[in-house]
Amino acid sequence: MLAHAADRASRSLFRVIATDIHFWIPFAVLIGGFVLLDHLH
Amino acid sequence: MNRVETETSAVVPSRMLPTRLRTLQALGIFCGFAAGAWLGGAEAPIKLVNPDISPITVSLIMVFGVFLARWSVPAFIRGTSQVHSDVLQAPHLVVWAVLAGCMWAVANTLTIYAIRNVGLSIAFPLWNTNSLLGIFWGFLLFNELHFAGWKRWLGVLGGAVCMFGGATLLAIASAHQAAPGKAAMGILAALGAGILWGTMYVPYRKAYLTGMNPLSFITFFSVGELVTMTLLAVGYRGATPLWHELVGARAVLFWLMLGGFVWVIGDLFQQYATKYVGISRGIPLSNTNQLWGLLWGLLVFHELRGGSQTVYAQVAGGSLLMAMGAVAIALSSATEREHSSWQDAADREGQRYGVENEYVRAGLEGREMQKGKITDKTAATPGTRSVLDWLLMLVTTFLFAVLAAMARLPHMEIALGWAAALVVTMLVLLATCGIALWRTTRFR
Repeated sequence: MLAHAADRASRSLFRVIATDIHFWIPFAVLIGGFVLLDHLH
Repeated sequence: MNRVETETSAVVPSRMLPTRLRTLQALGIFCGFAAGAWLGGAEAPIKLVNPDISPITVSLIMVFGVFLARWSVPAFIRGTSQVHSDVLQAPHLVVWAVLAGCMWAVANTLTIYAIRNVGLSIAFPLWNTNSLLGIFWGFLLFNELHFAGWKRWLGVLGGAVCMFGGATLLAIASAHQAAPGKAAMGILAALGAGILWGTMYVPYRKAYLTGMNPLSFITFFSVGELVTMTLLAVGYRGATPLWHELVGARAVLFWLMLGGFVWVIGDLFQQYATKYVGISRGIPLSNTNQLWGLLWGLLVFHELRGGSQTVYAQVAGGSLLMAMGAVAIALSSATEREHSSWQDAADREGQRYGVENEYVRAGLEGREMQKGKITDKTAATPGTRSVLDWLLMLVTTFLFAVLAAMARLPHMEIALGWAAALVVTMLVLLATCGIALWRTTRFR
């Protein structure tokens, strides 16, 4: 029962993060950074 | 409904006392200046390293030092039980901290490419454009500078532009140091680092608006850093060549890890500055690190020696502009009205992620939570240290002692007297700012 509740809370947490535009801005910049680093390397 | 399902209490607006607000603003500004000194000083040990070592390996070793510092310093100051408490209150911030750590690792690697290709004097101002980006994100996402009035806008934006102008002047003064043919690559790397660092403050601000303690945030931040750097290093260098390079670099491991450790102290002050004055003011103030980097370069490593009078005039003018910009920002602290719009942003974050109102409020006001207003999950006693905390401190001290015993000073001309004077200045700043943080917020 407790494990089920924790799993539900965790899924809910990730859903909230995934729908937060604030998350995608730094995430997109991070991907761009990886691309640039690969190019420089 | 995009809300975390918890038993959050209703958000009841309550505003901070004006005197408390002024104290926290002054503290944040002090932290910003202390951050500048320590972040600038962190670049010095890297200068002692043989340029034959790959930038990726240099970055990886630094991150090891950062990782050790980011776990041992919080253990020393407040104990890891506080970290556990924070995670229970705001678990989503672990994701944000790891994301910010990944960004830092990539940005730091880019700066090493930049330093190698165009020199520290050019690379520094370019990546310090992150302050302009920070102001933009602070305004757009976190209500910073809302209702601030034109004078404060002028102070912050004008100060940041002034600092950028000063930084550019410093870059022109030392442009002759750029390696021919590699300038474009170096400039691209420095700008990339600036964008990454400017955007990395989005997770920072997110965490501190929600009430997380900077000491907790940085521990998870370091996980993102270390994992990203290890993957980059193994991916780019290969596991066996990387190991051989690490073994071959044992005489400089100490200097690089020391650079990482010093950087963490600076970053910690930067985190507190971000928390108490926001990213639009905290980042430009931390960027005074360029002045400290310049001081180390000029006084300790004899950079720009034999330069023309024009070069020295540009250095003096650039430094003066940067200092004036920093003062303008320091004098433009947030008004009560602006701060109340920060609280609106904090309420929005608290509601979105289901964080307890008292936790958010206590974080913003830099005080301990009132036990009667929170649930049992936050019941860690401040200042208590476990066996794990002592173990973290002992292992870190032992590792640094072993590496120091293996370390060798390179054959280069170093003004040890000036180095000692700068180190003493940094230590004085560490002590005074640390005491101020303890007295005002108990490192909240």
